[in-house]
Amino acid sequence: MYGWIWRQLPGPTAVRVAEALLLIAVVVALLLFVVFPWVEPRLPFNDVTTV
Amino acid sequence: MSDAVTSPARHRAPAPPPRGTGDRARSVVRGAGELLLTLGMVVLLFASYELFVTDWLSALKQREATADLEDQWSNPRGTIDRPLEGDGIAKLHIPSFGPDFDFTVLQGTGQDVLAVGPGHYVDTAMPGQPGNFALAGHRVGHGSPFNDLDLLESCDALVVETRDTWFVYRMLPTAGEVAGWSTGKGATPQCRGVAPLPPPYPEVPGRKIVMPWQGEVIEPVPGAPESLVPPEQRAPLITLTTCHPRFSAEKRLIIHGVLVGQHPKTGPESGWSPAELVAS
Repeated sequence: MYGWIWRQLPGPTAVRVAEALLLIAVVVALLLFVVFPWVEPRLPFNDVTTV
Repeated sequence: MSDAVTSPARHRAPAPPPRGTGDRARSVVRGAGELLLTLGMVVLLFASYELFVTDWLSALKQREATADLEDQWSNPRGTIDRPLEGDGIAKLHIPSFGPDFDFTVLQGTGQDVLAVGPGHYVDTAMPGQPGNFALAGHRVGHGSPFNDLDLLESCDALVVETRDTWFVYRMLPTAGEVAGWSTGKGATPQCRGVAPLPPPYPEVPGRKIVMPWQGEVIEPVPGAPESLVPPEQRAPLITLTTCHPRFSAEKRLIIHGVLVGQHPKTGPESGWSPAELVAS
């Protein structure tokens, strides 16, 4: 999977490294600010209220 | 990361050799391995999100909520009779957690509200009123205002600051302290005004652990139908709820306290602050 992505990245190695880092940053940002905030209330370990 | 750099895959010729069944099996296994590693990284990232990132996000929102509340307090026409969900209603100071323990409490207990700070159960009493001023707060992440509730001891102060008054609540005796309270800890100066609630109240210990569905802890008369105690005899209580044990939502940790005093913020008694309680 990662090998395949690496081969799809255009440009010389230095540029590819930059592109790869950018991809990682995008994925991490998506997880932190979109996926995790959505998923968190659905997980059963941070409920603090009584019903 | 360093594994990837030294891995033989990097030195392979650009044109892949003709593929056999062995190659296919290898790439399937490698793909599965990469997928598992990725999942592991995502789980680790989620853990650090819960423990750190939500704290940063909540700190920003809490600062905003505090500024809004102070604006509202300094505005001469800014009294809100019926706060909406998410409105700041008071500040909570717990001097035994340090002089800087100071959270703006918001109306409501939805996830969005609790991500900003402790939330007030909407149908419970307001600060200082007879009945039960009940709050929920996160124990892990989101600023974790109620992280250390298990460390509170009986008679520790829970100070609620409103627009014009400081309300000083103190934690009730724990179940083990009730017997012999008046001659034991109850006789110390800091416990003045703190005593087991008189009958017809059921036993309301300062700290207890309940199951999540035991909503009776936030009732006006905790643990009993409210008709048990007529409204004019009801004690002004405070109740804090959070999850228990830490990192789990299996149970709820409950702290009950009773109002022992109040200090107007204007007039002859003005100038009081919870800092006076920190030294004791």
